[in-house]
Amino acid sequence: MSVSAKSDADFRAVARRKLLAELRPAPAVVAKRYLLSGGFLGLFCFCLWSFDFSPARTTTGVGRLGHVLSFMFPPHIWTNWASFQPVLEGLCQTLAMAFLGTLLGAAVAFPLSFLGAKNINRYGIFRQGMRRGFDFIRTFETLVLALIFIRAFGLGPLAGVLAIAVSEVGNLAKLFSEAIENTSKKPVEGVRAAGGSRLQEIRYGVLPQASPVILSIILYTFESNTRTGTILGVVGAGGIGFLLADRISAYRWDEAWSIIFLIVVMVYLIDSLSAKLRALLIGGWEGGK
Amino acid sequence: MTHRTLHISGVTRRFGSKTAVDNVTLDIAPGQFVGIIGSSGAGKSTLLRLLNRMVEPSSGEIRFGHREVTKLKARALREWRRECAMIFQQFNLIERLDVLTNVLVGRIAAHGFASSMVMRFSDAERQMAIEALDRLGMTEHALQRAGTLSGGQQQRVAIARALVQKPQIMLADEPIASLDPGNATRVMDALRSINREDGLTVLVNLHTLDTAREYCDRIVAMRTGRIVFDGVAGQLTREVVRDIYGGAGTDEFNEAITSTRLPLPELALA
Repeated sequence: MSVSAKSDADFRAVARRKLLAELRPAPAVVAKRYLLSGGFLGLFCFCLWSFDFSPARTTTGVGRLGHVLSFMFPPHIWTNWASFQPVLEGLCQTLAMAFLGTLLGAAVAFPLSFLGAKNINRYGIFRQGMRRGFDFIRTFETLVLALIFIRAFGLGPLAGVLAIAVSEVGNLAKLFSEAIENTSKKPVEGVRAAGGSRLQEIRYGVLPQASPVILSIILYTFESNTRTGTILGVVGAGGIGFLLADRISAYRWDEAWSIIFLIVVMVYLIDSLSAKLRALLIGGWEGGK
Repeated sequence: MTHRTLHISGVTRRFGSKTAVDNVTLDIAPGQFVGIIGSSGAGKSTLLRLLNRMVEPSSGEIRFGHREVTKLKARALREWRRECAMIFQQFNLIERLDVLTNVLVGRIAAHGFASSMVMRFSDAERQMAIEALDRLGMTEHALQRAGTLSGGQQQRVAIARALVQKPQIMLADEPIASLDPGNATRVMDALRSINREDGLTVLVNLHTLDTAREYCDRIVAMRTGRIVFDGVAGQLTREVVRDIYGGAGTDEFNEAITSTRLPLPELALA
C-alpha cells in the first residue's frame, strides 16, 4: 500500500515537471517578446529626444509653472456685478452652446442612424455608405470645424454651436445605429405576428429598447461638449473660453485662475448631474415609450 | 363552417440544402385543438411560422376557407396575421413597456401611422385589453413593466395580446417549454378555455407528450419535416412514439420525465 502510494507520488512529480517544461515558452517566442519591448522603449526614447525633453528644460518649466500657479493666491474675487456679469454670461453661453449643439446634432443624427443600422436598413451597400459617411464626419475635430465656421459665420457662439452640431452628427449617428442594432429581435417578431407594419415594428419593438440608450448617449455627449465648449471660445467661437484667453493674454492670471476654477466647478456639476440622470435612464425608468 | 377550415397542401420549406418542412398536407377543422409533436428540429416551429407567413414557403399552398394565405400581400397579410394570433416560447413581449401597452399591441393591425407613432389607443381598445387581462388573472399587473413579470405571467400577457387581436386561429410555438409545471398548466388551461369558450382553432407545438395527450383533440407528429402521425391521443401507442422520436434508447422512453403534471393533487386543482 505504502509502496504504491510512493510510486504514485513519484509519477505525479514527473508529470508536473513535464507539464512545466511544456508550459515554458519557446526561445523564439522569448526573443520576439524582447525585441518587441526593446522596440517600444526605443520609440519612446526617440519621441522624448525629438521633443527635446531635456531634464534642464523640464526643471525650469516646472519652476515657471510654480510661478504661474502662485498667481492663484490670493484668488481673484469679483466684487462688483459689472465685472462678474461677463464671466457668468460666458459660462452660461458655453453651457447653452453645448446644449444647442448636442440637440441639433442629435436631431439630425437620429433619423440618419436608422439608415445605418443593420436590422433596419437591409440594403448592404446603402447602409455601408451611410456608415462611411458617419465616419467621415467624425474625422473632423470640433475645433477644426469651429475655425472653418468662424470664417463663414463670423466670431461668436453661432460658429461654436454649428461646430459642435456638425461634428456630433457623425458621432451620434454611429452610436445611435449601434444602440438600434443591439436590440433584441424577439419583441419585433411579436409585433409582426400581431399584424404590425414595418414602421410599427420599429416604433413598438425597436424604439422602446433603444430609446433609453439613445437618451443616455445624448446626455453623455452634452456633458463632453460642455468641456469642448470651453476650448471653442479660445479660438473665438463664443463662450467662456474667449474670456479666459483674453485674461491670459492680458497677464491677468489671478482672474484667469478664478475663471478656470469656475469652469471646473461647472463641468463637475454637469458631469455628476448627467451621471445620475443616465443611471436613472438605464435602470428602472418607466418612460421608455 | 368550411369557410373557416385551414388547408395546408404540399407545403415545403427549404433552408439552404436542409428541408425543414417537407411536402406537408393537413386540413385543420375550425375549433380543433391540435397538438404538433416531434423532436427538436423536426420542423414544428417552421410549420407554424409558415401559417402566419413569418416564414415563406418554398412551394405549396395554404388556404383559409377560400382565402389563399400564401398569396396575401401588404395590408391583407397583416390582416391575416391579426386573424391567426401567435404566442412564442420566449413570450416576445416588449419588456420595457407596461403590460397594458403590450396587450394593446394586439390592436395595431387596425392602426394608421399617426396613432401608432404616439402609441395612442381608444378607450374601447383599452377596455378590451383590460377584459383580456382579467380573463387571464393579470389585471393587477396592467401598469407594471412586462420585463418585471415571471415567465408564466409574461406568457399570460402574450395570450391576452393574442386575444385582443380577435383571432380565428391561435398558433402557440412551444408556449410552455420555458415554464415550470405550475405555470405550464395554467397556460395550457388558458388555451383550452379559449378553444372551448371562444371556439378558436388552436395549433400548439409541444415537447411534452403527456400535455399533448391531455389537452389535444388531435395530435400530429412530425419527423424530419414530414407528418408521420395524425390521430387522437389513444392511437399514440408506445410503438408509434418510438417511431416519432426515432433511434435507440426509446424503449425506456419515460413520459414522466417531461411531464407537466403536478405531483401534488391540491396544486393540480388550483
